[in-house]
Amino acid sequence: MFNNSSKILFLTIMIIGTMITVTSNSWLGAWMGLEINLLSFIPLLSDNNNLTSTEASLKYFLTQALASTVLLFSSIILMLKNNMNIEINESFTSMIIMSALLLKMGAAPFHFWFPNMMEGLTWMNALMLMTWQKIAPLMLISYLNIKNLLLISVILSVIVGAIGGLNQTSLRKLMAFSSINHLGWMLMSLMISESVWLIYFMFYSFLSFILTFMFNIFKLFHLNQLFSWFMNSKVLKFTLFMNFLSLGGLPPFLGFLPKWLVIQELTFCNQYFTLTIMMMSTLITLFFYLRICYSAFMLNYYENNWTINTQFNNMNTNLYLICTFFSIFGLFLISLFFFML
Amino acid sequence: MIMILYWMLPMILFIFGLFCFVSNRKHLLSMLLSLEFIVLMLFFMLFIYLNLLSYEIYFSMMFLTFSVCEGALGLSILVSMIRTHGNDYFQSFSIM
Repeated sequence: MFNNSSKILFLTIMIIGTMITVTSNSWLGAWMGLEINLLSFIPLLSDNNNLTSTEASLKYFLTQALASTVLLFSSIILMLKNNMNIEINESFTSMIIMSALLLKMGAAPFHFWFPNMMEGLTWMNALMLMTWQKIAPLMLISYLNIKNLLLISVILSVIVGAIGGLNQTSLRKLMAFSSINHLGWMLMSLMISESVWLIYFMFYSFLSFILTFMFNIFKLFHLNQLFSWFMNSKVLKFTLFMNFLSLGGLPPFLGFLPKWLVIQELTFCNQYFTLTIMMMSTLITLFFYLRICYSAFMLNYYENNWTINTQFNNMNTNLYLICTFFSIFGLFLISLFFFML
Repeated sequence: MIMILYWMLPMILFIFGLFCFVSNRKHLLSMLLSLEFIVLMLFFMLFIYLNLLSYEIYFSMMFLTFSVCEGALGLSILVSMIRTHGNDYFQSFSIM
Protein backbone atom coordinates (compact mmCIF):
# COMPACT_ATOMS: atom_id res chain seq x y z
CA MET A 1 0.00 0.00 0.00
CA PHE A 2 2.77 2.46 0.75
CA ASN A 3 4.41 2.04 -2.62
CA ASN A 4 1.63 4.02 -4.15
CA SER A 5 1.67 7.74 -3.42
CA SER A 6 -1.84 8.46 -4.63
CA LYS A 7 -3.18 5.94 -2.14
CA ILE A 8 -1.41 7.75 0.67
CA LEU A 9 -2.97 11.01 -0.52
CA PHE A 10 -6.49 9.63 -0.69
CA LEU A 11 -6.13 7.87 2.62
CA THR A 12 -4.96 11.06 4.30
CA ILE A 13 -7.80 13.10 2.83
CA MET A 14 -10.28 10.43 3.87
CA ILE A 15 -9.03 10.68 7.45
CA ILE A 16 -9.14 14.49 7.27
CA GLY A 17 -12.73 14.32 6.03
CA THR A 18 -13.80 12.25 8.99
CA MET A 19 -11.96 14.57 11.34
CA ILE A 20 -13.76 17.57 9.83
CA THR A 21 -17.10 15.87 10.36
CA VAL A 22 -16.41 14.85 13.92
CA THR A 23 -15.04 18.21 14.99
CA SER A 24 -17.58 20.41 13.24
CA ASN A 25 -20.12 22.38 15.22
CA SER A 26 -22.84 22.67 12.62
CA TRP A 27 -24.58 20.32 10.27
CA LEU A 28 -23.16 22.15 7.25
CA GLY A 29 -19.61 21.51 8.41
CA ALA A 30 -20.49 17.89 9.06
CA TRP A 31 -21.91 17.56 5.59
CA MET A 32 -18.71 19.01 4.11
CA GLY A 33 -16.59 16.48 5.98
CA LEU A 34 -18.79 13.64 4.78
CA GLU A 35 -18.44 14.84 1.20
CA ILE A 36 -14.66 15.05 1.47
CA ASN A 37 -14.65 11.55 2.89
CA LEU A 38 -16.75 10.24 0.01
CA LEU A 39 -14.72 12.04 -2.63
CA SER A 40 -11.47 10.55 -1.43
CA PHE A 41 -12.73 7.07 -0.66
CA ILE A 42 -14.05 6.40 -4.16
CA PRO A 43 -10.62 6.49 -5.87
CA LEU A 44 -9.36 4.03 -3.26
CA LEU A 45 -12.14 1.65 -4.21
CA SER A 46 -11.93 1.78 -7.97
CA ASP A 47 -8.22 1.37 -8.18
CA ASN A 48 -7.91 -1.84 -10.13
CA ASN A 49 -9.85 -1.86 -13.34
CA ASN A 50 -11.87 -5.01 -13.03
CA LEU A 51 -15.61 -5.32 -13.22
CA THR A 52 -16.47 -5.92 -9.62
CA SER A 53 -14.53 -3.05 -8.09
CA THR A 54 -16.02 -0.59 -10.58
CA GLU A 55 -19.49 -1.75 -9.72
CA ALA A 56 -18.74 -1.58 -6.02
CA SER A 57 -17.51 2.01 -6.29
CA LEU A 58 -20.56 2.89 -8.36
CA LYS A 59 -23.01 1.50 -5.84
CA TYR A 60 -21.16 3.20 -3.02
CA PHE A 61 -21.16 6.53 -4.81
CA LEU A 62 -24.87 6.47 -5.63
CA THR A 63 -26.06 5.55 -2.16
CA GLN A 64 -23.72 7.93 -0.39
CA ALA A 65 -24.55 10.83 -2.71
CA LEU A 66 -28.23 10.26 -2.05
CA ALA A 67 -27.66 10.18 1.70
CA SER A 68 -25.58 13.37 1.58
CA THR A 69 -28.24 15.29 -0.31
CA VAL A 70 -31.00 14.15 2.03
CA LEU A 71 -28.84 15.11 5.01
CA LEU A 72 -28.31 18.60 3.67
CA PHE A 73 -32.00 18.97 2.84
CA SER A 74 -33.11 18.12 6.35
CA SER A 75 -30.39 20.19 7.99
CA ILE A 76 -31.53 23.25 6.01
CA ILE A 77 -35.08 22.61 7.20
CA LEU A 78 -33.77 22.28 10.76
CA MET A 79 -31.98 25.60 10.51
CA LEU A 80 -35.05 27.14 8.92
CA LYS A 81 -37.00 26.25 12.02
CA ASN A 82 -34.56 28.22 14.13
CA ASN A 83 -34.71 31.30 11.96
CA MET A 84 -38.33 31.68 11.03
CA ASN A 85 -41.54 31.42 12.97
CA ILE A 86 -42.59 28.16 11.43
CA GLU A 87 -43.74 25.23 13.48
CA ILE A 88 -41.73 22.29 12.25
CA ASN A 89 -41.45 19.39 14.61
CA GLU A 90 -37.85 18.84 15.54
CA SER A 91 -38.26 15.10 15.76
CA PHE A 92 -39.41 15.10 12.15
CA THR A 93 -36.19 16.61 10.83
CA SER A 94 -34.12 14.55 13.27
CA MET A 95 -35.73 11.44 11.86
CA ILE A 96 -34.82 12.39 8.31
CA ILE A 97 -31.24 13.22 9.32
CA MET A 98 -30.98 9.93 11.15
CA SER A 99 -32.31 8.01 8.15
CA ALA A 100 -29.71 9.65 5.94
CA LEU A 101 -26.94 8.78 8.40
CA LEU A 102 -28.14 5.20 8.75
CA LEU A 103 -28.08 4.92 4.97
CA LYS A 104 -24.51 6.19 5.01
CA MET A 105 -23.47 3.55 7.46
CA GLY A 106 -25.30 0.57 6.12
CA ALA A 107 -27.49 -0.07 9.13
CA ALA A 108 -30.75 -1.92 8.64
CA PRO A 109 -33.31 -1.07 7.26
CA PHE A 110 -30.96 0.70 4.85
CA HIS A 111 -28.39 -2.03 4.58
CA PHE A 112 -29.15 -3.53 1.20
CA TRP A 113 -26.22 -1.98 -0.61
CA PHE A 114 -23.68 -3.12 1.95
CA PRO A 115 -23.12 -6.87 1.35
CA ASN A 116 -23.39 -6.37 -2.42
CA MET A 117 -20.72 -3.78 -2.29
CA MET A 118 -18.37 -5.65 0.02
CA GLU A 119 -18.33 -8.53 -2.43
CA GLY A 120 -16.49 -6.40 -4.95
CA LEU A 121 -13.78 -4.95 -2.76
CA THR A 122 -10.27 -5.97 -1.86
CA TRP A 123 -9.72 -6.81 1.78
CA MET A 124 -8.01 -3.58 2.71
CA ASN A 125 -10.77 -1.47 1.17
CA ALA A 126 -13.31 -3.68 2.91
CA LEU A 127 -11.57 -3.03 6.23
CA MET A 128 -11.74 0.71 5.60
CA LEU A 129 -15.41 0.44 4.76
CA MET A 130 -16.22 -1.69 7.80
CA THR A 131 -14.34 0.33 10.36
CA TRP A 132 -13.32 3.85 9.43
CA GLN A 133 -16.34 4.85 7.36
CA LYS A 134 -18.61 4.22 10.32
CA ILE A 135 -17.02 6.79 12.60
CA ALA A 136 -18.43 9.97 11.07
CA PRO A 137 -22.09 8.90 10.77
CA LEU A 138 -22.08 7.36 14.24
CA MET A 139 -20.71 10.52 15.78
CA LEU A 140 -23.35 12.56 14.02
CA ILE A 141 -26.07 10.21 15.21
CA SER A 142 -24.91 10.75 18.76
CA TYR A 143 -25.93 14.41 18.41
CA LEU A 144 -29.52 13.52 17.60
CA ASN A 145 -32.10 12.94 20.26
CA ILE A 146 -34.48 10.48 18.73
CA LYS A 147 -35.20 7.15 20.33
CA ASN A 148 -37.80 5.44 18.18
CA LEU A 149 -35.99 5.18 14.91
CA LEU A 150 -32.75 4.29 16.65
CA LEU A 151 -34.35 1.39 18.49
CA ILE A 152 -36.02 0.15 15.31
CA SER A 153 -32.71 0.32 13.50
CA VAL A 154 -30.88 -1.46 16.31
CA ILE A 155 -33.33 -4.34 16.45
CA LEU A 156 -33.48 -4.70 12.68
CA SER A 157 -29.71 -4.46 12.32
CA VAL A 158 -28.95 -7.19 14.79
CA ILE A 159 -31.62 -9.47 13.34
CA VAL A 160 -30.61 -8.83 9.73
CA GLY A 161 -26.92 -9.21 10.53
CA ALA A 162 -27.53 -12.50 12.27
CA ILE A 163 -29.97 -14.12 9.90
CA GLY A 164 -28.43 -12.75 6.73
CA GLY A 165 -25.08 -14.24 7.56
CA LEU A 166 -26.41 -17.75 8.00
CA ASN A 167 -26.42 -18.66 4.34
CA GLN A 168 -23.16 -17.06 3.26
CA THR A 169 -20.11 -18.82 1.98
CA SER A 170 -18.26 -15.80 0.71
CA LEU A 171 -16.01 -14.42 3.43
CA ARG A 172 -16.54 -10.79 2.46
CA LYS A 173 -20.30 -11.09 2.69
CA LEU A 174 -19.91 -12.91 5.99
CA MET A 175 -17.88 -10.05 7.37
CA ALA A 176 -20.41 -7.61 5.91
CA PHE A 177 -23.31 -9.18 7.79
CA SER A 178 -21.20 -9.43 10.89
CA SER A 179 -20.47 -5.74 10.48
CA ILE A 180 -24.20 -4.98 10.27
CA ASN A 181 -24.75 -6.93 13.47
CA HIS A 182 -21.98 -5.11 15.29
CA LEU A 183 -23.34 -1.86 13.95
CA GLY A 184 -26.60 -2.59 15.75
CA TRP A 185 -24.67 -3.05 18.97
CA MET A 186 -22.72 0.14 18.37
CA LEU A 187 -25.88 2.13 17.79
CA MET A 188 -27.28 0.83 21.04
CA SER A 189 -24.09 1.68 22.88
CA LEU A 190 -24.42 5.26 21.58
CA MET A 191 -27.59 5.53 23.56
CA ILE A 192 -25.68 4.67 26.71
CA SER A 193 -22.70 6.96 26.39
CA GLU A 194 -20.00 7.89 23.92
CA SER A 195 -17.22 6.23 25.92
CA VAL A 196 -18.94 2.86 25.71
CA TRP A 197 -19.31 3.35 21.98
CA LEU A 198 -15.63 4.18 21.65
CA ILE A 199 -14.61 1.07 23.55
CA TYR A 200 -16.90 -1.10 21.44
CA PHE A 201 -15.69 0.46 18.22
CA MET A 202 -12.02 0.09 19.07
CA PHE A 203 -12.34 -3.54 20.02
CA TYR A 204 -14.39 -4.30 16.94
CA SER A 205 -11.89 -2.52 14.66
CA PHE A 206 -9.02 -4.40 16.26
CA LEU A 207 -10.66 -7.79 15.74
CA SER A 208 -11.71 -6.94 12.20
CA PHE A 209 -8.19 -5.82 11.47
CA ILE A 210 -6.67 -9.13 12.56
CA LEU A 211 -9.01 -11.21 10.45
CA THR A 212 -8.81 -8.94 7.44
CA PHE A 213 -5.04 -8.79 7.68
CA MET A 214 -4.71 -12.55 7.53
CA PHE A 215 -7.29 -12.88 4.79
CA ASN A 216 -5.43 -10.27 2.79
CA ILE A 217 -2.05 -11.93 3.12
CA PHE A 218 -3.28 -15.33 2.09
CA LYS A 219 -5.87 -14.02 -0.38
CA LEU A 220 -8.76 -15.91 1.12
CA PHE A 221 -12.16 -14.97 -0.23
CA HIS A 222 -14.28 -18.06 0.14
CA LEU A 223 -15.02 -20.60 2.81
CA ASN A 224 -13.44 -23.48 0.87
CA GLN A 225 -10.18 -21.58 0.70
CA LEU A 226 -10.30 -21.08 4.43
CA PHE A 227 -10.36 -24.77 5.22
CA SER A 228 -7.81 -25.91 2.69
CA TRP A 229 -5.39 -23.11 3.49
CA PHE A 230 -1.90 -24.33 4.23
CA MET A 231 0.31 -22.98 6.93
CA ASN A 232 3.55 -24.46 8.14
CA SER A 233 2.46 -24.31 11.73
CA LYS A 234 -0.95 -25.71 12.59
CA VAL A 235 -1.06 -23.61 15.75
CA LEU A 236 -1.14 -20.43 13.69
CA LYS A 237 -4.02 -21.75 11.65
CA PHE A 238 -5.82 -22.67 14.84
CA THR A 239 -5.40 -19.17 16.22
CA LEU A 240 -7.06 -17.65 13.18
CA PHE A 241 -10.21 -19.55 13.95
CA MET A 242 -10.01 -18.47 17.54
CA ASN A 243 -9.95 -14.91 16.26
CA PHE A 244 -13.17 -15.70 14.44
CA LEU A 245 -14.73 -16.83 17.68
CA SER A 246 -13.46 -13.72 19.41
CA LEU A 247 -15.21 -11.56 16.81
CA GLY A 248 -18.38 -13.47 17.46
CA GLY A 249 -18.26 -12.60 21.13
CA LEU A 250 -17.47 -15.89 22.80
CA PRO A 251 -16.61 -15.37 26.48
CA PRO A 252 -13.05 -16.22 27.23
CA PHE A 253 -11.87 -14.08 24.30
CA LEU A 254 -11.48 -10.36 23.94
CA GLY A 255 -14.55 -9.84 21.76
CA PHE A 256 -16.76 -10.61 24.71
CA LEU A 257 -15.65 -7.54 26.65
CA PRO A 258 -17.44 -4.80 24.65
CA LYS A 259 -20.62 -6.85 24.53
CA TRP A 260 -20.41 -7.46 28.25
CA LEU A 261 -20.05 -3.75 28.85
CA VAL A 262 -23.08 -2.92 26.71
CA ILE A 263 -25.15 -5.65 28.33
CA GLN A 264 -24.32 -4.40 31.81
CA GLU A 265 -25.07 -0.79 30.97
CA LEU A 266 -28.32 -1.73 29.31
CA THR A 267 -29.51 -3.67 32.33
CA PHE A 268 -28.87 -0.56 34.42
CA CYS A 269 -31.11 1.34 32.02
CA ASN A 270 -33.79 -1.38 32.18
CA GLN A 271 -33.80 -1.97 28.44
CA TYR A 272 -34.49 -5.66 28.79
CA PHE A 273 -36.53 -6.26 25.65
CA THR A 274 -33.99 -4.79 23.25
CA LEU A 275 -31.21 -6.49 25.16
CA THR A 276 -32.84 -9.90 24.81
CA ILE A 277 -33.23 -9.46 21.06
CA MET A 278 -29.63 -8.32 20.73
CA MET A 279 -28.31 -11.25 22.71
CA MET A 280 -30.35 -13.79 20.81
CA SER A 281 -29.12 -12.47 17.49
CA THR A 282 -25.54 -12.49 18.77
CA LEU A 283 -26.02 -16.15 19.52
CA ILE A 284 -27.05 -16.71 15.93
CA THR A 285 -23.99 -14.78 14.74
CA LEU A 286 -21.84 -16.89 17.01
CA PHE A 287 -23.49 -19.98 15.57
CA PHE A 288 -22.32 -19.31 12.06
CA TYR A 289 -18.82 -18.56 13.29
CA LEU A 290 -18.83 -21.67 15.42
CA ARG A 291 -20.01 -23.73 12.48
CA ILE A 292 -16.92 -22.65 10.53
CA CYS A 293 -14.61 -23.29 13.47
CA TYR A 294 -16.18 -26.65 14.23
CA SER A 295 -15.57 -27.83 10.68
CA ALA A 296 -12.04 -26.50 10.76
CA PHE A 297 -11.15 -28.01 14.11
CA MET A 298 -12.83 -31.38 13.90
CA LEU A 299 -12.70 -32.45 10.28
CA ASN A 300 -9.75 -33.42 8.17
CA TYR A 301 -9.13 -31.32 5.07
CA TYR A 302 -6.72 -31.73 2.25
CA GLU A 303 -4.47 -28.71 2.11
CA ASN A 304 -2.68 -27.38 -0.93
CA ASN A 305 0.95 -26.96 -0.03
CA TRP A 306 2.34 -26.02 -3.41
CA THR A 307 1.75 -22.29 -3.19
CA ILE A 308 4.68 -20.33 -1.83
CA ASN A 309 3.58 -17.28 0.06
CA THR A 310 6.28 -14.65 0.21
CA GLN A 311 4.14 -12.08 1.95
CA PHE A 312 3.98 -14.00 5.18
CA ASN A 313 7.39 -12.88 6.38
CA ASN A 314 8.75 -12.32 9.87
CA MET A 315 7.19 -8.93 10.38
CA ASN A 316 3.73 -10.05 9.38
CA THR A 317 4.00 -13.14 11.53
CA ASN A 318 5.06 -11.09 14.53
CA LEU A 319 2.27 -8.58 14.07
CA TYR A 320 -0.25 -11.36 13.72
CA LEU A 321 1.02 -13.15 16.79
CA ILE A 322 0.95 -10.05 18.95
CA CYS A 323 -2.57 -9.16 17.84
CA THR A 324 -3.78 -12.72 18.30
CA PHE A 325 -2.31 -12.82 21.78
CA PHE A 326 -4.31 -9.76 22.74
CA SER A 327 -7.38 -11.14 21.06
CA ILE A 328 -7.28 -14.44 22.90
CA PHE A 329 -5.98 -13.42 26.31
CA GLY A 330 -7.06 -9.79 26.35
CA LEU A 331 -9.98 -10.27 28.67
CA PHE A 332 -7.75 -11.39 31.55
CA LEU A 333 -5.16 -8.73 30.79
CA ILE A 334 -7.73 -5.97 30.88
CA SER A 335 -9.08 -7.10 34.21
CA LEU A 336 -5.51 -6.93 35.50
CA PHE A 337 -5.36 -3.38 34.17
CA PHE A 338 -8.26 -2.48 36.34
CA PHE A 339 -6.40 -3.59 39.45
CA MET A 340 -3.20 -1.86 38.45
CA LEU A 341 -4.70 1.61 38.19
CA MET B 1 -46.99 33.62 3.88
CA ILE B 2 -45.12 34.29 0.66
CA MET B 3 -42.00 32.95 2.36
CA ILE B 4 -43.65 29.56 2.63
CA LEU B 5 -44.17 29.59 -1.10
CA TYR B 6 -40.53 30.53 -1.55
CA TRP B 7 -39.60 27.44 0.39
CA MET B 8 -42.17 25.08 -1.00
CA LEU B 9 -40.89 25.19 -4.55
CA PRO B 10 -37.38 23.82 -3.98
CA MET B 11 -38.65 21.35 -1.40
CA ILE B 12 -41.25 19.87 -3.69
CA LEU B 13 -38.85 19.81 -6.62
CA PHE B 14 -36.24 18.13 -4.41
CA ILE B 15 -38.67 15.36 -3.58
CA PHE B 16 -39.52 14.99 -7.26
CA GLY B 17 -35.82 14.79 -8.03
CA LEU B 18 -35.37 12.08 -5.42
CA PHE B 19 -38.21 10.18 -6.97
CA CYS B 20 -36.59 10.40 -10.40
CA PHE B 21 -33.24 9.36 -8.93
CA VAL B 22 -34.55 6.12 -7.54
CA SER B 23 -36.78 5.18 -10.43
CA ASN B 24 -34.25 5.06 -13.26
CA ARG B 25 -34.03 1.64 -14.72
CA LYS B 26 -31.98 1.83 -17.83
CA HIS B 27 -29.02 4.14 -18.00
CA LEU B 28 -26.62 5.24 -15.32
CA LEU B 29 -26.30 8.64 -16.94
CA SER B 30 -29.95 9.48 -16.24
CA MET B 31 -29.35 8.72 -12.59
CA LEU B 32 -26.43 11.12 -12.56
CA LEU B 33 -28.55 13.75 -14.27
CA SER B 34 -31.24 13.49 -11.63
CA LEU B 35 -28.51 13.74 -8.98
CA GLU B 36 -27.46 17.03 -10.54
CA PHE B 37 -31.07 18.18 -10.45
CA ILE B 38 -31.31 17.30 -6.77
CA VAL B 39 -28.14 19.24 -6.06
CA LEU B 40 -29.50 22.21 -7.97
CA MET B 41 -32.64 22.23 -5.87
CA LEU B 42 -30.52 22.04 -2.75
CA PHE B 43 -28.53 25.01 -3.99
CA PHE B 44 -31.75 26.94 -4.48
CA MET B 45 -32.93 26.07 -0.99
CA LEU B 46 -29.57 26.95 0.53
CA PHE B 47 -29.58 30.25 -1.28
CA ILE B 48 -33.01 31.16 0.08
CA TYR B 49 -31.92 30.14 3.55
CA LEU B 50 -28.72 32.12 3.42
CA ASN B 51 -30.66 35.21 2.45
CA LEU B 52 -32.07 35.21 5.96
CA LEU B 53 -28.59 35.50 7.40
CA SER B 54 -27.17 38.78 6.22
CA TYR B 55 -23.60 38.14 5.23
CA GLU B 56 -23.42 34.36 4.87
CA ILE B 57 -24.27 34.15 1.22
CA TYR B 58 -20.73 33.07 0.35
CA PHE B 59 -21.38 29.61 1.71
CA SER B 60 -23.43 28.87 -1.38
CA MET B 61 -20.18 29.06 -3.34
CA MET B 62 -18.63 26.43 -1.11
CA PHE B 63 -21.65 24.23 -1.50
CA LEU B 64 -21.45 24.64 -5.25
CA THR B 65 -17.79 23.62 -5.25
CA PHE B 66 -18.54 20.46 -3.31
CA SER B 67 -21.47 19.46 -5.44
CA VAL B 68 -19.58 20.08 -8.67
CA CYS B 69 -16.79 17.83 -7.40
CA GLU B 70 -19.36 15.21 -6.62
CA GLY B 71 -20.83 15.48 -10.10
CA ALA B 72 -17.40 15.17 -11.65
CA LEU B 73 -16.74 12.11 -9.53
CA GLY B 74 -19.98 10.57 -10.72
CA LEU B 75 -18.98 11.16 -14.30
CA SER B 76 -15.57 9.63 -13.77
CA ILE B 77 -17.21 6.56 -12.27
CA LEU B 78 -19.43 6.44 -15.34
CA VAL B 79 -16.35 6.53 -17.57
CA SER B 80 -14.72 3.80 -15.51
CA MET B 81 -17.84 1.71 -15.85
CA ILE B 82 -17.94 2.14 -19.59
CA ARG B 83 -14.31 1.09 -19.75
CA THR B 84 -14.93 -2.13 -17.91
CA HIS B 85 -18.47 -3.08 -18.90
CA GLY B 86 -18.77 -1.43 -22.30
CA ASN B 87 -22.04 0.35 -21.66
CA ASP B 88 -23.90 2.00 -18.84
CA TYR B 89 -26.97 -0.19 -18.73
CA PHE B 90 -28.12 -1.37 -15.36
CA GLN B 91 -28.78 -4.81 -16.79
CA SER B 92 -25.09 -5.42 -17.22
CA PHE B 93 -24.44 -5.20 -13.49
CA SER B 94 -23.91 -8.45 -11.70
CA ILE B 95 -26.02 -9.18 -8.66
CA MET B 96 -22.98 -9.98 -6.47
